[in-house]
Amino acid sequence: MNALVALCHFCELHGPRTLFCTEAVHPPAPSPPQPGSALLGDREAEREGEGLTMRANSSATQRADMCEGCRSLPVSHPGFVSVDTETGIRFLSHQHPRQAQLFSVVRQACVRSLSCEVCPGREGPIFFGDEQHGFVFSHTFFIKDSLARGFQRWYSIVMVAMDRIYLINSWPFLLRHLKLTIQSLQSTALKVFDSEQGVCPQRAVRMNSAFSPAVFPHQRSGNAARSLPSLTQHPNLWASLHASFSWLLKACGSRLTEKLLEGAPTEDTLVLIERQTEQEEEMNAEGAGGKSESAQCRDFLFGDDGKGEEYCGPNFRSLRHLRQVLGAAEFRQLAWHVLMGNQVIWRGTDRGLIQSAFNVLKTLLPVGCVRVEAYSSQYEEAYRYNFLGLSPDVQIPAHVSSSEFTVLVDVLNVEQGCVHVVCDDDVLSLYQFSISSANTQPVDKGPTLLNKLEVALTNENLSVEVVSHCLLCLKEEWMNKVKVLFKFTKVDGRGRDDTQKVLVLLGATGPGEEDNVRLLKFWMTGLSKTYKSHLMTAVRGVERTLSQ
Amino acid sequence: MLSGNTPRPVFTGVSAPLSLSFSLSLSLSLSLSLAYLLIAKCKTSGLSAVRGKVVYVLPIPWCSNMKIKSQRKSGSVWLLNMQSRLHDSWASAEFDLAQIRLIVHQDCERRGRQVLFDSKAIRKLDPSEPNAEETKVPPARSGACQINSKASQKESPPTYQYTRPASDVNMLGEMMFGSVAMSYKGSTLKIHHIRSPPQLMVSKVFSTRHGSSNTGSTNTLQDSFESISQTCPSHTSSIGFWSLSSTTVALGYPICPTPQLLVRSASFFAAHSNPVDMPGRGHSEDGDSGIARSASLSSFLATPMPSPGSSSSSGCASSYQRRLLRSQATSLQHGPIPRWSTEEMFSLSDESCSSNPAMARRKKIAVSIIISLPEKEEESHSFQEFFFSHFPLFESHMNKLKTAIERAMIVCRRVAEASQRVQVYLCRVMEALGEFRMTVWNLYMAPRITEPVWLTMVSQSAERNQLCQRFLKEMSVLMEHGAKTQFLSALLTAVLMYHLAWVPTVMPSNHLPIKPVCQKPASHTVDLLAKSHPYNPLWAQLGDLYGALGSPVRVCRTVVVGRRRELVQRVLYILSYFIRCSDLQENAQPPGHTDIPANPCPALYSAPLSERTNETPLIPESEAAKPPVCTGNTNDKTLSANVDGANDAPVSERTSKKAPKSDSAGPSPLPEPTSERLACADPGWEPFGDATDPVGGGLEHILANQSPPVQRVKFTIGSPRESDHDGQRCGRGLHRKLPHRRLADMRRNESSDSSLGDSDEEETASPSQQAYTPATETAREYELPLPSCQTESRASVNHFGRSLLGGYCPQYMPDFALHGISSDQRLKQCLMTDLEHTVLHPALDEPVAEAVCIVADTDRLCVQVATSQRRVCEPGRLGRDVMVSSLVHTLLTSVLQLHTLNIAADFCVMHLEDRLQEIYFKSCSLAEYLRGQRRVHVKELGLALGIESSDLPLLAAVASTHSPYVAQILL
Repeated sequence: MNALVALCHFCELHGPRTLFCTEAVHPPAPSPPQPGSALLGDREAEREGEGLTMRANSSATQRADMCEGCRSLPVSHPGFVSVDTETGIRFLSHQHPRQAQLFSVVRQACVRSLSCEVCPGREGPIFFGDEQHGFVFSHTFFIKDSLARGFQRWYSIVMVAMDRIYLINSWPFLLRHLKLTIQSLQSTALKVFDSEQGVCPQRAVRMNSAFSPAVFPHQRSGNAARSLPSLTQHPNLWASLHASFSWLLKACGSRLTEKLLEGAPTEDTLVLIERQTEQEEEMNAEGAGGKSESAQCRDFLFGDDGKGEEYCGPNFRSLRHLRQVLGAAEFRQLAWHVLMGNQVIWRGTDRGLIQSAFNVLKTLLPVGCVRVEAYSSQYEEAYRYNFLGLSPDVQIPAHVSSSEFTVLVDVLNVEQGCVHVVCDDDVLSLYQFSISSANTQPVDKGPTLLNKLEVALTNENLSVEVVSHCLLCLKEEWMNKVKVLFKFTKVDGRGRDDTQKVLVLLGATGPGEEDNVRLLKFWMTGLSKTYKSHLMTAVRGVERTLSQ
Repeated sequence: MLSGNTPRPVFTGVSAPLSLSFSLSLSLSLSLSLAYLLIAKCKTSGLSAVRGKVVYVLPIPWCSNMKIKSQRKSGSVWLLNMQSRLHDSWASAEFDLAQIRLIVHQDCERRGRQVLFDSKAIRKLDPSEPNAEETKVPPARSGACQINSKASQKESPPTYQYTRPASDVNMLGEMMFGSVAMSYKGSTLKIHHIRSPPQLMVSKVFSTRHGSSNTGSTNTLQDSFESISQTCPSHTSSIGFWSLSSTTVALGYPICPTPQLLVRSASFFAAHSNPVDMPGRGHSEDGDSGIARSASLSSFLATPMPSPGSSSSSGCASSYQRRLLRSQATSLQHGPIPRWSTEEMFSLSDESCSSNPAMARRKKIAVSIIISLPEKEEESHSFQEFFFSHFPLFESHMNKLKTAIERAMIVCRRVAEASQRVQVYLCRVMEALGEFRMTVWNLYMAPRITEPVWLTMVSQSAERNQLCQRFLKEMSVLMEHGAKTQFLSALLTAVLMYHLAWVPTVMPSNHLPIKPVCQKPASHTVDLLAKSHPYNPLWAQLGDLYGALGSPVRVCRTVVVGRRRELVQRVLYILSYFIRCSDLQENAQPPGHTDIPANPCPALYSAPLSERTNETPLIPESEAAKPPVCTGNTNDKTLSANVDGANDAPVSERTSKKAPKSDSAGPSPLPEPTSERLACADPGWEPFGDATDPVGGGLEHILANQSPPVQRVKFTIGSPRESDHDGQRCGRGLHRKLPHRRLADMRRNESSDSSLGDSDEEETASPSQQAYTPATETAREYELPLPSCQTESRASVNHFGRSLLGGYCPQYMPDFALHGISSDQRLKQCLMTDLEHTVLHPALDEPVAEAVCIVADTDRLCVQVATSQRRVCEPGRLGRDVMVSSLVHTLLTSVLQLHTLNIAADFCVMHLEDRLQEIYFKSCSLAEYLRGQRRVHVKELGLALGIESSDLPLLAAVASTHSPYVAQILL
């Protein structure tokens, strides 16, 4: 808990004194890296400096009026520390807090708890405080002392925090546990008291001794100096108190825990995690290799632009860029093929350019639908790769080139041998692109997703980032439709009529309906295994109760 | 029936009266206890379970069907018509209005302490019912407690009689103000627990603020009290009559001739109690550091959080951020940083002109609420649990009460005639107290939604499918019912826009779910944060429920109005899915576990005294055995390990030095009879038992301050920076590596009383050390294992998720995040003031920019939003109509159509979540688009982003939870 606990004592000679103080020192802000962490470090440094001034100021004044009763750890004692290994929180105990700020806060809490605030019966809990000095839960109590005035001494345990509400919320908990601590001290001291009284009954001593005003203060000064360890005959009391207080701070902070849900991961995330897991398993089996693939996964998770930077030849930077280079109609045609799940083949010499084209184009699809072979020296079948890069000399089989499910982009060099020009130069001046496909379907009606995307791409007021956000929205929207269709057709196995109803409901009908449906069906193949298997098991009614 | 006339001892412990002192309100208590009897009966019938653990499956289990019908006749017969499958109110214990007492106390330098108000000393004089008491305000027609604020005013204003204050006010006054004057000028909060009779007292102590006129003080009021006591006014006064018996003591009159003297003598520590000027840490005194700190913190707070679209953002970014900032803002690590203006004062004048600080210092006013606790231990316990967990709400109402008292004092001063003045004052304060009592009663007793859909899904997934089915069914019915006006769509638009806690629950996580996909993962990062940087989960939950996630912070509640109970309950049930918050669990020791670490001397209980002196039992044996004792013969070895080889400073320096002069701080001669034993009572740390351990042995010797320290060991490790960094950053790893009883560098204790070492330092410090002077301050503490104890986690009972989702209540209540009412009469009366109050005194304990209330009228099927930023709206209306977001409407339609197509209910709910996630993604687009813009072209948004103007308010609100700048551009 963001708090500290201190044991205070009302010394008969010196008034209210802080005896022992346990603070919780929290580690710097954990991951995810916070913008403030640097600042935090600064403040730590600052804090250290302040601590010095405090010590310089306070030690001189404190030193004169201290007695055994006012002190806990001896001067040379460095204090105690306990570390909560799970969280990195350190619990530190000293006689006083180390910082000047806290020193005065604790001092204030001590004085208020023992000489300002009034507790009926003088033993019990009080809460008090304000924004400036912090808030305090205090519990006052007596400890038996055969030599003290009235045969008892007065103590308090204070818990100081800035979070008023938290402290008040914790009242019942604190009261319960501080009572235990206090009762334990009291009953231990009582035994000591009883045995001391048995040896030498003080009451009799005092009644018999003549009272002399001159001698009195000197007599008493010796007696006033008894420490709590001596009153409890507990030589390691401070270490024990350190343990108790540390535990109290920890337990109070973890008394209530939140169960906070976050959204389910997107399908893209699930697929990537699945792929990564597979690769790790393969790697474990084989022992090496496959690193690049998992790196690729990471790129996908954290944005796609990693590759472009490595390669500094001419490349495609974004969908908008691609569209500018190819021309609106050609882009539309290409994107349509991509979205329909047709095989997209790029053939040319510039490997980096083709790679960058794929990087841009694959953002149109859910991760699960992307199977890239960036550059190959032979044709690969469509079921293996829907993005296929080929070197210029590779012949494409006739059944493929005549198929309506394939689109071929040939990258032709305009000028020879000019590849090493300044990077990022106009791709158009270097290459020509010829797009061919046996497809006879119109590509200008649908799918709806593409229509909307083109609007965003056309609008030059939208930055590339905004466009990619829009694309993300569109993809998620359609992915959700895919899920419904999957559930409906694959899991529940509904008939044609019902399916049509669902399509209407999903807003997939109307102009471009045919394309929408093709898109949905293609995207269905990209659903994560996790998701699919969940739906399958759920429908069988298994695990419904085990899912917790 | 007046017990107030006889002074009763309160704290003396002598003969605490058996009955609660407040038998004043006889008839009410009777009627209420009748009600409780019936409730109690029902409770034991087994239909309703233990509070909080309500997990019964009933056909329509969502709301209480408790119906308290009252026929208000002269005999006030109460009928409790409880339908069979009902749930009781939140409370497990009875609660009587008269259990709440108000005392206003004044502490004036010149006049001493005076009681300005004590509800216990006031009786209401009602001409029609001579014996009636002020608390005899029958709970309203429909069962909630309703004070006759409006109704009775129509008749004739009540008249009050002030009798002798109870005998305990002196003591209570001392508790409120403390025995020593404090120089602090801001307001102070105190809570006392009084054992006999069991009571809780909450006090707020304010400094007073005066206007320019010197008459602006309580003096006038006191004077009028005093004059009344001398001149008995006529009974036929136009406002009421003021009766004085011979024993009546005028209000405000010093109760004893010299109260403060009495106080002093009663005080045990009178000798030490010079007026304490607290070590002030105000900005004036401590200047730079304080301001610099808060400035740096605020800049830290203002740092924009990572954009949601950015890769690093995890699902709960905004939740996480909010909690982290809370942890930072309430941290002690940087010293106290006041988060609020501490200038809250008690106004004695309505002129807001220059206050006179000299005057303000002189007078303090305490407003105290004293709540009598039930006698039964169990009931008392459960009320206290409720009280302390719901304290922010109590406090907020107390602030309201304080404002009313201020007004009463100011207003009554305008009344010329003394007796009337007092009547005006008493009337106003009593009315405010009545409000307070009623609010508290309602908060405690009102029916709750027993199975809020969202929380139930979070906490138990076993019946998820059933739950989803029921939820969708109810939603379909409601959708149909309100089809014409798009009632449900409008309502959900408003709820999703203001109760924003749903947003983090749909932000996609980056982790692979451990559970099936349908179940959202619990946020791991937030969990980790809570452990390492504790914040108050109750606070987080309250913010969630009120939707305080956006920027600027807005808090919202929703009230469903309607005469048709079932319909209202259906709406409440559905909304309990969309108004979300985290679920809380309580970790506690299993009952009967006594051996807990809170007990510092467990081993000593059994051990006989004589044998104990030489043993070192401080750590439980199991733990003591655990740490591998460092038996290494060189300190150096251990020490160099400490710093990971990064040390360039001298390592182990052992310097002999001369003993310090024996001054007052030195070991003092021991008292004779126990000297033998005490000699062993070394207050220092003794290493674990092993005396042959060279290191430990040496330490023991050195540390025993009973013998004059001849030698001192000084170890220096690393550079100052490093030592600090070790602690801060890699402390954890470090400590794990090292043996538990790692020998640390034993530098001078830095605690302030360690000045003894001042001279040592010069002698022992090597030049290199001196260069690092700051470093030498950082001592290495002895590491002890952190005790742990077994805890079991159970569903927390007293949390806001369970308590602030109200059921169908007879009457409007201000605290609930959601509740239903039958009539909006009281709502219309109070709403605006409530909203304004919420902004001024937010229960959330953080500044609030706007308070909003969504009012859904199921009779007229319309939804309005009322706001504290009173934008012009038509007279007679609560707020403005809600524009239906087409996103929300299509979302609802398609989910429900899926449902009608017989798709599995839990799939439909998953789809609903997916669609909510779409809204979140859209808000990200919007935020990205607005980044760096100054104006929004709504048309362009529509075309480019597919955002319709009807969706814009919703999307902007959602975006403001993750991208704070959005609001600035749009609003």
